[in-house]
Amino acid sequence: MDLALSSDQIAILDAIDSLAKPYAAAPTHEAGFAMVSDALDRELAEGGFLDVAFDPDLGAVSAALIIERLARLPYAIEAAASALVRPLLGDDVSRPLCLVMEGKHARPIRFLKAGATVIVTGHETVSSFTVSQDQARAEDTLFGYPMGTLLIDPATVAMPCPDVSPEAVLVRWRVGLAAEAAGLLAAALGSTATYVTDRQQFGRPLATFQAIRHRLAEAQVRTNGVYWLAMKAAGTLDPGDAALAALHAQESARATVYDFHQFLGAMGMTLEHPLHLWTYRLKALIGALGGRGAQGLAAADAIWG
Amino acid sequence: MNFEWTPEEAAFRQRLQDFLAVTLPDDWERFSQHGPASPALTKYAETFCGKLAEEGLLTPHWPKAIGGQGLDPWHQAILAEEMWIAGEPRGGQYMNVNWVGPTLIKYGSADQQARYLPPISEGKALWCQGFSEPGSGSDLASLRTRAVLDGDNYRVSGQKIWTSYAGLADTCFLVCRTSDDRKKGISILLVPMDTPGITVRQIPSLIGEGDIHEVFFDDCVVPVSARLGDEGQAWEIIGYSLTNERLGIPRYALARAALDRAVSLLQAQAEFASEAVKLEAAHAAALCEAARMASYAIIDCRSRGEAIGAESSSARFATVMAERKVAEFVVEYLPEALADAHPYLKMHHQRGIVAGIAAGAAEIQLNIIATDVLKLPREPR
Ligand SMILES: Cc1cc2nc3c(=O)[nH]c(=O)nc-3n(C[C@H](O)[C@H](O)[C@H](O)COP(=O)(O)OP(=O)(O)OC[C@H]3O[C@@H](n4cnc5c(N)ncnc54)[C@H](O)[C@@H]3O)c2cc1C
Repeated sequence: MDLALSSDQIAILDAIDSLAKPYAAAPTHEAGFAMVSDALDRELAEGGFLDVAFDPDLGAVSAALIIERLARLPYAIEAAASALVRPLLGDDVSRPLCLVMEGKHARPIRFLKAGATVIVTGHETVSSFTVSQDQARAEDTLFGYPMGTLLIDPATVAMPCPDVSPEAVLVRWRVGLAAEAAGLLAAALGSTATYVTDRQQFGRPLATFQAIRHRLAEAQVRTNGVYWLAMKAAGTLDPGDAALAALHAQESARATVYDFHQFLGAMGMTLEHPLHLWTYRLKALIGALGGRGAQGLAAADAIWG
Repeated sequence: MNFEWTPEEAAFRQRLQDFLAVTLPDDWERFSQHGPASPALTKYAETFCGKLAEEGLLTPHWPKAIGGQGLDPWHQAILAEEMWIAGEPRGGQYMNVNWVGPTLIKYGSADQQARYLPPISEGKALWCQGFSEPGSGSDLASLRTRAVLDGDNYRVSGQKIWTSYAGLADTCFLVCRTSDDRKKGISILLVPMDTPGITVRQIPSLIGEGDIHEVFFDDCVVPVSARLGDEGQAWEIIGYSLTNERLGIPRYALARAALDRAVSLLQAQAEFASEAVKLEAAHAAALCEAARMASYAIIDCRSRGEAIGAESSSARFATVMAERKVAEFVVEYLPEALADAHPYLKMHHQRGIVAGIAAGAAEIQLNIIATDVLKLPREPR
């Protein structure tokens, strides 16, 4: 057991931090529900950051670290599927990647737009297709991601990916979800902690009231747990580990999101404050992959048979 | 990051499991319900720890110079996990080897080390920890048990409470007041429990026979040579002791083992089919594994010689969450475990309730996280 980052991983995260610096401080004034940046996305892709898991020496843990770090930015970046699931399919697959459960394609899909690759995961098979202009409609949602709806049934256009196992896709999907949630939780927690430290009421910072301190401390415990379960699952790629990580991520998002907004009072209801850019992404992740119930059952089956 | 155990670490764990399999008596699971501090288990622990010592498994994490093997914190963690999962057959002696010994190694005089270390590493000693008082629990620095200098002796008067193992311990690691300064006025005395003037009264408890006690000190004469470190150095020494015991007992490991046991019993009764039950079990497993990984992150820092700080409070609170969830799962879906049907689960249930209280209440851990991890301004006092 050795939980230290390798020198390569430290270098990659440093590089991401300097690349992302202009975007971390991006103006968030009335940002809308989701913020995207094509320039940031291009820089990440060109820098090869989303390709690390193709390199067996760096592997899925490095990808998970990158996903976690990028999720802390106010911008929504399609990193999880690209960095973790794309290595199963090949590096010629066009981004963004949109992961869909078979039979659930009617719901809004994160990052869906023309040119995206849709990966449909069923019980037995995985299939994919590239979305054309007339197959997708952009959706105006409350979630912190750009989203779209498919106007066709994927079964009519998707081509099978015979070498890709649905189980492997699900494992990496869950790991990516957990790693992304860890970053979102960390950023939302940090943003809330800063606010309650600065905001004074009754002659003292809100952060000195124990009711707030303890709930934020519990959020820290959860955030830390989600981070480590995500990293471990990336390290083992074990179905049970992945399902536990995703379950803990969704449960922790559910348990904290309303507290974060609560502690900002009315400021937390505005689009001026960036908190929603993280929490409304977390809300989207809570419902991914069938929600907590599906992760829980998958975990129970993987662990206890 | 590498989440695999090294072959050497895996072999060490296997060696411990093999040792436990051949050493523990057949009726051990029923027997271990007595609790780590019970007279029965304390007596058994003497034999067990003696055998552990013979195998070099009692103090393998101690420095080589004093009879250990200098094994790293991962080995210490593996040892602690295997013992606690097995119901802690070392009884109260786990405390000796985890922090009493290491603290004496760092702060003890040559005489104190010569007197106290050999019995610990041979598995023959039993210490108790005299910190809490009726008026001083979470606010330990308010303690009032007094040690007044009188020539070459201290005269000690006061009362300790919740003292584990006190009924059978041979020595007390006593924290007492030598001056009025809140933290700098506290000193440590190593007090033989047969010192005249000490009275011990057992407190019946939910967690097993013989666990907690009141200890009264009535004008006890304790030589100055029994003081550990300098007068007023207790707060620093306790801080050092805590770095050896920051994570406390690896409760997440027993919680997970109990959960696995409960699930296999439910499966045998064809009662692990309902989705509701499976979901609750999965939530409990997630909390156990989150606590385990949070703890491993701390152990990893220690193994690289880095200072560990407030993050250990986060791991401890994660452990409290795991303990509660597993206990609730068993109460709800396998209630017969709280009767006599499944001694292992009963043992876990008895001990698990302590997680959020002993060695620092859960709310104190949250306070530490808020101030030292999240860097929030402190509460007004
Ligand atoms: C099984 C067991 C074994 C023990 N063994 C020993 C031993 O061997 N030696 C020894 O010295 N002590 C021992 N203790 C005592 C233990 O250290 C104390 O119980 C612990 O420090 C809490 O103190 P208290 O019980 O007086 O609780 P109190 O300090 O009275 O607190 C009661 C409750 O109030 C809340 N609380 C307290 N402070 C705050 C705060 N600042 N903010 C918010 N909430 C707060 C917490 O919920 C806490 O649980 C043992 C306890 C148990 C249960």
